[in-house]
Amino acid sequence: MTDPVFILLYIVLFPGFIFLFVYALFLSFLDRKIVARMQNRVGPPFYQPFADLVKMLAKEVIDPDGVDRGLFDAIPLVALAAVMTAFLYVPVTGYSPLAFPGDLVVVLYLMIIPTFALFLLGWLSRNIFSAIGGIRAATQMFIYEVPFFLALLAPAIMAGTWSISGIVVWQQHNTWLVFFQPIGFVVALICLQAKLERTPFDIPEAETEIVAGPLTELTGRRLAIIHLTTEISLVVGSALIAALFLGGPMIPWTLSPSWLNEVVGFCVFLVKTLAVLLVLSSIKVATGRIRIDQLNDIGWKYIASAALVQVGMVLVINYLWVTL
Amino acid sequence: MSVLSEMIKNLLSRPVTILYPREKVPIPVTFRGRVAITDEKCIGCSKCSLVCPAQVITMIDGPREVEFKEKSLKRKKRPQVKLYQCIRCGICERHCPTGAIHLEQVHGGTGTDREVVVT
Amino acid sequence: MPEVVIPIGPQHPALKEPVNFRIIADGEKIVRLELELSYTHRGIEKAAEQRNFIRVLPLLERVCGICSHSHATVFAKGIEEIMQLEVPPRAQYIRTIIAELERMHSHLLWLGVAAHEIGFNTLFMWTWRDREAVQDTLEEMSGNRVHYNMNEIGGVRCDLNPAQVNAALSRVPVLEERIKKYVDMVNDEETLLLRFRGVGRMSKEEALKYGAVGPTARASGVDYDVRRDDPYLAYAEVPWDVVTDTEGDVYGRTRVRIGELRESVQIVRYCLENIPAGPIRVDAPKNAPKGEILSRYEAPRGELAHYIRTNGTDKVERVDIRTPTLANWTSVAMCLVNQNIADIPVIVAAIDPCLSCTSRLTVTNRENRPGVAVVRAARRGSSLPGSEDEEKL
Repeated sequence: MTDPVFILLYIVLFPGFIFLFVYALFLSFLDRKIVARMQNRVGPPFYQPFADLVKMLAKEVIDPDGVDRGLFDAIPLVALAAVMTAFLYVPVTGYSPLAFPGDLVVVLYLMIIPTFALFLLGWLSRNIFSAIGGIRAATQMFIYEVPFFLALLAPAIMAGTWSISGIVVWQQHNTWLVFFQPIGFVVALICLQAKLERTPFDIPEAETEIVAGPLTELTGRRLAIIHLTTEISLVVGSALIAALFLGGPMIPWTLSPSWLNEVVGFCVFLVKTLAVLLVLSSIKVATGRIRIDQLNDIGWKYIASAALVQVGMVLVINYLWVTL
Repeated sequence: MSVLSEMIKNLLSRPVTILYPREKVPIPVTFRGRVAITDEKCIGCSKCSLVCPAQVITMIDGPREVEFKEKSLKRKKRPQVKLYQCIRCGICERHCPTGAIHLEQVHGGTGTDREVVVT
Repeated sequence: MPEVVIPIGPQHPALKEPVNFRIIADGEKIVRLELELSYTHRGIEKAAEQRNFIRVLPLLERVCGICSHSHATVFAKGIEEIMQLEVPPRAQYIRTIIAELERMHSHLLWLGVAAHEIGFNTLFMWTWRDREAVQDTLEEMSGNRVHYNMNEIGGVRCDLNPAQVNAALSRVPVLEERIKKYVDMVNDEETLLLRFRGVGRMSKEEALKYGAVGPTARASGVDYDVRRDDPYLAYAEVPWDVVTDTEGDVYGRTRVRIGELRESVQIVRYCLENIPAGPIRVDAPKNAPKGEILSRYEAPRGELAHYIRTNGTDKVERVDIRTPTLANWTSVAMCLVNQNIADIPVIVAAIDPCLSCTSRLTVTNRENRPGVAVVRAARRGSSLPGSEDEEKL
């Protein structure tokens, strides 16, 4: 397990960067196709996200007057690097070889970095629309991060470990955590929708109000990298929810040739992430965008309190389990 | 709830998009398409040229023997329409006494050459 | 307090046509609006003075693409009144059918655009899909999906045969069922209610004071509809109701427009089933007698008025077009004060703006910036001095 060639192949090839890249483009296509079919349209062909990426990389990069060019180039790359690293700790075929106790916290931290990147980009573009978009991104981050962390804290308490792979193993021995924590599951899904900035929470990038929000002044390869970051965040987010609540890539039985476990686990992983994507796409189709002050209301009144209730319930259940 | 049920119904049925140009769009009979002139019917009265709102019809030389209301008469002029400037309003067709100038059912009146004409 | 100028400039994804709003905002709250309207001025009123009555109708139709039949009909109606022509009833019924079909397509378009402004693209796709049924009907009847050119001075250009009437009647039940679904959706959908309720509220007194017309005014309780109060075409014979609401906010305007959709479907069905037989036009004289007339019409956006002056020749001497959107801009400026920036596209879309209709004038003022109308409307609770509204050009 500590063979460096194996680790290198894991990181770069499968299920590391190359697989992540392909799967992100595939999930992005599937998202757009499902949304289109629900709206009675045809939708794009399967190669559309890849074609968009290639086209965007070939476009001219325009620097507005007085903008710091080096930072504008660096910030999207930092965001991309952060989410790609976060994927390494999420179990894809079974126990992740890079897992360590506490990697749940590391993954959550790495996934906040794209939102910081949006805020910085909004601030650095000398543009009123970008500034408003950046402020809205930061406000939204404060509103949804607290319930998200709490909702993902509850599985960790119940499984007794801070490692995602450890939680998955706990679920393999007992049962899926969604049956114990339905409220947490719903809160986590809603907060994931807010983190990925999709309708009804696509407030920082509201096209009809503030042009493109923080992304207004990005062109060419910078915009391509930000889009790729969003698509990869979708994969990481769905994989995280699938691992923490739906049991991840594990099945309750162990099969005889040990490589068959990994293959079946991988197929199970695909099915579960697709299910999460279906739910997220349905939420995107069925709603319109809400205002930032309305999100403030709903976030603190209902979502945060639901997450607190869930954590309380888990603590009570744990205490009863231990004493009985 | 009504939004949700409609979403699921749409997911399971065929999209309404007509995949042009593979599938054809049904065009009604009364569609106002490209302007065309039937030379045998035109009696050269110049009414179309007078009523055209965009003033794209000019009368050119075109003598011919034509039949009009059981009589045969010698016409002197015939119309010439700048095809790409015609706005396809149909007023010439409405005022033509013989139905010589009319709008066809095909589209085809778009282009950038200002001198293309139909006679 | 520091004031930030947000240019919802001539090009912006929220705008379908060029108009320049300069929003002066403090954080997310709006303080003032400065408006510049004349980007699509094309000189149509002057060009109309050089065409005779047969050639001028297609020009006036092209003032606007969505309410094209309104402009042509109100002009034809005015000239017919000056010439004292008696238009046959079949022509009036055909004109009414096309007018109500136009109102339906315009309101379905508006519903989609309003949903798109709040990011609810699903409703946008669905309403525009149902709008295709109306457009197909219009194409079968008149030959074109926009700019129908059905009007002449003295009647209509072409007739409706029974096949067209039956095809249109077969689409009516489908449209009725879809409109019922939209009524349900607008009443149930949470995010739509969150974004539309309580936004851009205008009371009845304010609507009357600032001259709002059409569904914008009817949503505030102003019970005025030109089709009932000054009847024209076939509206006096068809049974229908005026739709009003008491809310006065964007949600009320949505409900009024959906109610008008329902009424329009009923009017179309009644006219198609009861269309009288007879000629479709009378011969109009070449010259119009000397006179002037103010001809009014209920366009999909409100009351449209043409002032026409003739002088005995075969051309008009002056036609002055006052469109409903021009009358509604003051109410937008007033409703926007103290609202959020996120509400700007919603409130602007709620009056159903048609800039092509509006830009009938360009004002150039050499001392000031050219053509800027500064509208300060003080309302209760705002901190602007004075309580008059002034329009400085």
